[in-house]
Amino acid sequence: MKHLFSFLLVLAGLLTPLCADTTADQRLTAYRNRIQEVLTWRISQVKLSDPKASGLGDVAVRLARHEDPAGCSSRVIELMKEPAGDMFWMFPCVSVAYLGRDQLSAEAKAAMRSAWRDYMPMRGDTENHWAMYYTSLYLMAELWPDEPASQWYSGKSSAENLAEAREYLLHWMDLTTTIGQGEYDCTHYLGEYCIPMLYLATWAKDPAMRLRGRMMLDWILADFAIDTLNGAYVGAHARTDDRQVLEKWNGLSSFFSWLHFGNCPPPAGYGGWGIYFAAAASASDYVVPEAVYRIATDRTGPYLSHERKRTRNRWRESDVRNAPVYKTTYMTQDYAVGSDQGGLLQPIQQHSWDVTWAVPDPKGVQNTLFSMHPNYSAVEMQMYFAEFPDWMAKKVTLQNKPSYDKEDKFLGGSAYEQVFQDLDTVIALYDIPPGTTYEQVNGFFSKDLSRLEEDASGWIFAQGGNTYLAYRPLAPYEWVPIAGGGKRLRSPHRKNGTLVQAASAAEFPNWEAFKQAIRRLPIAVSLEPQPKVELTTLRGRRVVCAYGQVPIVDGTRVDYSRWKLFDSPFLRAEVGGRKLTISHGQLERILDFNTVTAEDRVRGSQP
Amino acid sequence: MKCLYAILLFLAAAQSRAADLRHDLYVCVSQSKPFVIGTKVQQLNGLYRMDGRITPTHVGFNHPRIDAMAADPRDPKRIYAAGLNGVLRSLDGGGTWRIVTGWDMTEGKDIAVDPHEPENVYVGLPDGIAVSRDGGQTWVRANAGIRRAYTQTICVDRTRAGRVLAGTELGIYLSDDGAATWRRVFPTTKTVNNLRQSPHDPAVFLAATQAEGAVLSRDGGEHWETLPGTQRGQTLHNVDFDAADPQRLYLAGWGCGILASEDGGRTWSRRSETLPNADIWRMSADPDLPGRLYASPHGEPIFISDDYGRTWKARWFTAATVWDFVFVPRS
Repeated sequence: MKHLFSFLLVLAGLLTPLCADTTADQRLTAYRNRIQEVLTWRISQVKLSDPKASGLGDVAVRLARHEDPAGCSSRVIELMKEPAGDMFWMFPCVSVAYLGRDQLSAEAKAAMRSAWRDYMPMRGDTENHWAMYYTSLYLMAELWPDEPASQWYSGKSSAENLAEAREYLLHWMDLTTTIGQGEYDCTHYLGEYCIPMLYLATWAKDPAMRLRGRMMLDWILADFAIDTLNGAYVGAHARTDDRQVLEKWNGLSSFFSWLHFGNCPPPAGYGGWGIYFAAAASASDYVVPEAVYRIATDRTGPYLSHERKRTRNRWRESDVRNAPVYKTTYMTQDYAVGSDQGGLLQPIQQHSWDVTWAVPDPKGVQNTLFSMHPNYSAVEMQMYFAEFPDWMAKKVTLQNKPSYDKEDKFLGGSAYEQVFQDLDTVIALYDIPPGTTYEQVNGFFSKDLSRLEEDASGWIFAQGGNTYLAYRPLAPYEWVPIAGGGKRLRSPHRKNGTLVQAASAAEFPNWEAFKQAIRRLPIAVSLEPQPKVELTTLRGRRVVCAYGQVPIVDGTRVDYSRWKLFDSPFLRAEVGGRKLTISHGQLERILDFNTVTAEDRVRGSQP
Repeated sequence: MKCLYAILLFLAAAQSRAADLRHDLYVCVSQSKPFVIGTKVQQLNGLYRMDGRITPTHVGFNHPRIDAMAADPRDPKRIYAAGLNGVLRSLDGGGTWRIVTGWDMTEGKDIAVDPHEPENVYVGLPDGIAVSRDGGQTWVRANAGIRRAYTQTICVDRTRAGRVLAGTELGIYLSDDGAATWRRVFPTTKTVNNLRQSPHDPAVFLAATQAEGAVLSRDGGEHWETLPGTQRGQTLHNVDFDAADPQRLYLAGWGCGILASEDGGRTWSRRSETLPNADIWRMSADPDLPGRLYASPHGEPIFISDDYGRTWKARWFTAATVWDFVFVPRS
């Protein structure tokens, strides 16, 4: 019977995306069903024959389902004997502590209480760590109020811990709502912000903090929604990984797209950390706002989105702590083109630009095209990490980032890459100094392209889904097969560049017509002294890009100083404004962190 | 029987040596295999006290990264540690701790207590220098005059009140007013990793840099000279003085192993041939035991030498990264 129920839940989850016009009630039901689907799956993974194999995640989902509180209690007592880890230990603890408030035994609660006195978790060194650490500390300090410093690993009282955590969380929210997120648009780390914000929205005792958590979750999901195409997080990312940079759907961010928007299948294991969101969501009244849902799922017309973000904290090699990041996304029904301005904006896992095309079933599909400079250096490491230089690059490869020092990698930023995007045209220029690791450009050509033709004109023509692609390498290249399929365009030249123009197949009578249109585009390329491109795009705009100089469009220099925090038909926010207007059709939601208010309006209706 | 006799002799010698020790040795260590955030911390990391120079005793929490520690000269049980969680303070020799900095001070790299005014404590951070005037209770930023404030090392002049030196991303900075203001006395292109004051002549300071080799000052830090033969282009991690011979200096770094000078820094010879590799995280000369050196080669145990580095033997841990060896006066 249980299996039948699970099957029906899965079926419901799969069918949901097929329904184009769901009502709010239907959407809510589907969302709740998906939450239960996650919990059911996770519980089915627990080996009942070996209860000691279960961890805090298993306990959390069982508590979320109000199953076996006695078993959960005894497991918590065992697990708290050997606390280990950091903020990734803390936030599961929070989940268990809050979900188990009315279920865990007094002994289990005491075991957890003791662990938070005797074990000092590490705070970490980046913003997702701090978001989880301070959210966890905040909520535990609320759960255990009025306790003296001697009862906490930090040696600070409940009130001191609460104050410090609150101060950090408000600081981070202020930074994010004024100059943008630091770890922006991450395909995995999206979860490490969504989970703590849901915790605050669900469990914070202070109503203002509860509302802030809800508003930040709205903010982050809106930021995600505008850059997602059928569940895939498109364009530039502060951080992604070797898998998801190619197979765009296959990661934690798609779990959130599936859960909130129902527009893609769930990734394997529900993205791993997804279970903690689902467990908390089962106890929460949080639902993604209707306007955000519509932004994520409405792909009826193309739109252009500009965003401003900031770099992670720079400790060295820079005179500014958080340099601005300028993001562009051009979204259509068939494809999305997204980019930042290039440069070393984040360490190790940056992804600066790509084209992503829509596919009916994203599982196993590498639906993307881009180029990048495979680069690693102690300068990059020391800019963002407080470490000695020599061992860091190797150490990184042992810390779940195996490609970092490889020449055939497709992941990472470069100080020697400059990117400009105008609508669905991207110009990436490279000026790589001698001796740099490595002196080449890698272009990714997916195994899932349905067409790939090298043209005598110098263009490479390709098709992915319903998207026509024109790729122009600015220097000679060779093809290198990729293990698992596809080809790498390897261009071993320091003065280099890539031009890409995307278009929907529906815009042209046939493939030949697209190629002819591209061949006719006026283009002038030079590589010395610096790479330079002058191009009239398929959209009729005259773009001039020269490495090291501000791009010019139709005779006007691009003015990044006027770039807003969000600027699109759906999201609008000023730099420094602490206020985001989310709108779709007549629906409008205004998140104002100046007044800590969230207001829903129907535009055009009487006040 | 022979073995038992040898063990008894060793223990007797060790006991006699331990009685002569004027300092306790603390080691800030990450037992590495590289630590990955989010994974289970398998081994005890952080601060160890090497009791009698024989037995490592873990002190305090299992913290994966403690970079430096310092003790109050008035009371060796009053300990400060700088690490990933900021500055931690113990008032009872490591039994209980308090994180005395807030969210805005992270990843302490070095810490120093002012011997003239032990309520003054200085910490080097990735975003500059902070000072406490009340024994670590409260902290304020102290970066006036410093461009690019990343600070790896802090050294308080033990003879001149208010004089503090800091090794930063772009050079050595000096303050004569207890860190209220700073001026650059030696520019570098990369980080200054370590600063030490000579135990013999307080006007002499020695520094290890990432890109400019080792540099020496003979006038209290005002002027600096590059020492010939030191490894420009190889990262030097730290420097040390021999407690008995003012002419004997040591350097350690990545790829260059351990170098010793017997002539005040004019010439250098390698003292790490018998170590497993030349990538040295940290070395130190024991102030109480003539000829005793400690070294932390990459991915290896802590090694000791009792002949000024000519021969070495593995002593503690299996794979340790030592961030600092600290000798705390026993009284």
